[in-house]
Parts: sequence; C-alpha cells; structure tokens
Amino acid sequence: MNRARNRVLNAVGYLWRHHRMALVALGLACALAAFFAIRLAVFTLYWADPAHQAPRIEPWMTPGYVARAWDVDVDVIRAALPVTAQASTGGRLTLDEIAATSGVALPAIIAALEAAIRDAQAP
Amino acid sequence: MTETLLALVPLYGLGLIGLSTFLSCLAVPMPASIVMLSAGGFAAAGDLVLWQAGVAALAGAVAGDQLGYFLGRAGARMLSRQRVAPRQARLLGKAADALHTHGDWAVFFSRWLVSPLGPYVNFAGGAAHLGWGRFTGAAVAGEMVWVIGYVGLGAAFADDILALADLLGSASGLLAALVAALALGLWLRTALRHRAHP
Repeated sequence: MNRARNRVLNAVGYLWRHHRMALVALGLACALAAFFAIRLAVFTLYWADPAHQAPRIEPWMTPGYVARAWDVDVDVIRAALPVTAQASTGGRLTLDEIAATSGVALPAIIAALEAAIRDAQAP
Repeated sequence: MTETLLALVPLYGLGLIGLSTFLSCLAVPMPASIVMLSAGGFAAAGDLVLWQAGVAALAGAVAGDQLGYFLGRAGARMLSRQRVAPRQARLLGKAADALHTHGDWAVFFSRWLVSPLGPYVNFAGGAAHLGWGRFTGAAVAGEMVWVIGYVGLGAAFADDILALADLLGSASGLLAALVAALALGLWLRTALRHRAHP
C-alpha cells in the first residue's frame, strides 16, 4: 500500500518538476469537466420542470418568430401589435424595437400577443 | 448578454451570423451556437432565408478555421527558432505524429461534437504541418455537420432555443473537457514512460 502510494507521489513529483504545464492543464480540464457536469445536471433539472417548459415571448423575438414558435398565423400576431407597427409590414423589427418606436410598453405588447395566441389556439 | 446578441440577429442578419462563427473558430468567446440556433428560428419565421443563414455560418466557420490553421503554422515557424529541451522535443514529436495519424478525425469531431476544442486543433494542425488539403477537407465536412445541426435544430425548435443552447453548451463543454483530460493524461503517461526508458 505504502509502496504504491510512494510510486504515485514520485510520478506526480516528477511530472510537477518536468511537465508542470501539462499537469496543471490536466487539473484544469478535470475541474472544467466537473463544472460542466454540474451545469448540465442543473440545466436538465431546470428545463425538465414544467414551470419552465412553457416558452415565453422574449423581447428579442420578431412577430414572425412568435408566430412560428407558437404555431399561429402571422396575421394574428400582427393584428395584436400596436397600430403603428401593424402598418410597417416589412422589416425584421424585434418586439423591443416595436415597443421603442410605437411608444407602447413592452410588457403590454407581450400581454396583447399572449392574449391573441390564446384566442387563436382556443378550440 | 445572450438576449442582446439575439436581438441583433434579425437586425444584422447574415453578417452577424458569419462573424460569430468566424470568431468562435479562433477561440474568441462568442456564443456562436445560440446565434446559429436563433438564425434557424428566424429563418423558419421568414425573417431570414434558411440556406443563406446556413451558408453565412459555414463561410464564417471555414474562414476562421483557415486563419487559425495558418496562425498555427506561422507560430510554429517562430517557435522553431527557440531551443526546446530534448525531453520536450521528443514528446512534441510524438504529439505531432499522433496528429498526422488521426488528424482528420481530430479535425472533423472538434468542429461539432467537441467544438470548444476546435480552435486549438486548428492551431495545432497548422503547427504540426498537417497537410492543408486534409485539414480543409475534414474541417469543411465537420463544419457542415455543426452548421446544419444547429441551424436545423433552431428551425425545428424555435420556441426552445434557450433551453437547447443551455443543454447543448453544457454537454459539449463536458465532452471537450473530458477529451482534453484524456489527451493530457496520455501525454503525461508518455512522459513517465520516457523517464523509465531514457
């Protein structure tokens, strides 16, 4: 038992003296592996939680993106936007930009879209 | 940070997609995977054209690989003027041999399966003088898997790209760290063998 331990210590000592960079890098790689394993477990639990599975409308989405992700017609989404944004059919404005240009608060826009999606999906 | 970047994708489109894959292939920390996922989503939504988004991502990635490869070559030329201890030189020679034997697979899999290692394989491939044709063939094939995979997943699961990015990022980070640990372990084992048989 002691001899085996001595051999390991000798080997580590030798590597520490002559191959320090690689030994430190190995320690770092193991630490990173542990970090990503924990991160993967945490995210898996987080996204498996039904409360987090319902997708949210985010400020960076465009009306077309919302329509696609929630599987409703893009006209349904467009009709629920502030009037000024309905007029500009072209362009790839995000909801954030639509809020800024129309003067309507972003949460109000998102709430209107959510209501429109609910109505469209209701049987 | 991620959300700010995502908001820029529909605004700057193809240029931003190409730039992010280009930089990520040079080890610049850049969430290229989430940009590609969102590009797929925006393409499915009609804000971008799917094949154009794919070509932009591929062009950026291939250009980044090439620059990394030639940087590795130039770096090796500069370093070759420095003196290396014989023990290190022998180990480096072994590593270069391994790269010459398995280089294609190392390049191919470090494009998509263990993509965080990609930039370092580019530098190492250039430094070890892995043939340019071999490197480029494997790199383009691997990048195609990477781009088609991420843009395709983004298009298919547009409402879930944040979850996808979290899970894929963690999984590829874990795999990359394990592969790096394995490679370093083999390197150190070889070093110990050289001590035993000088």
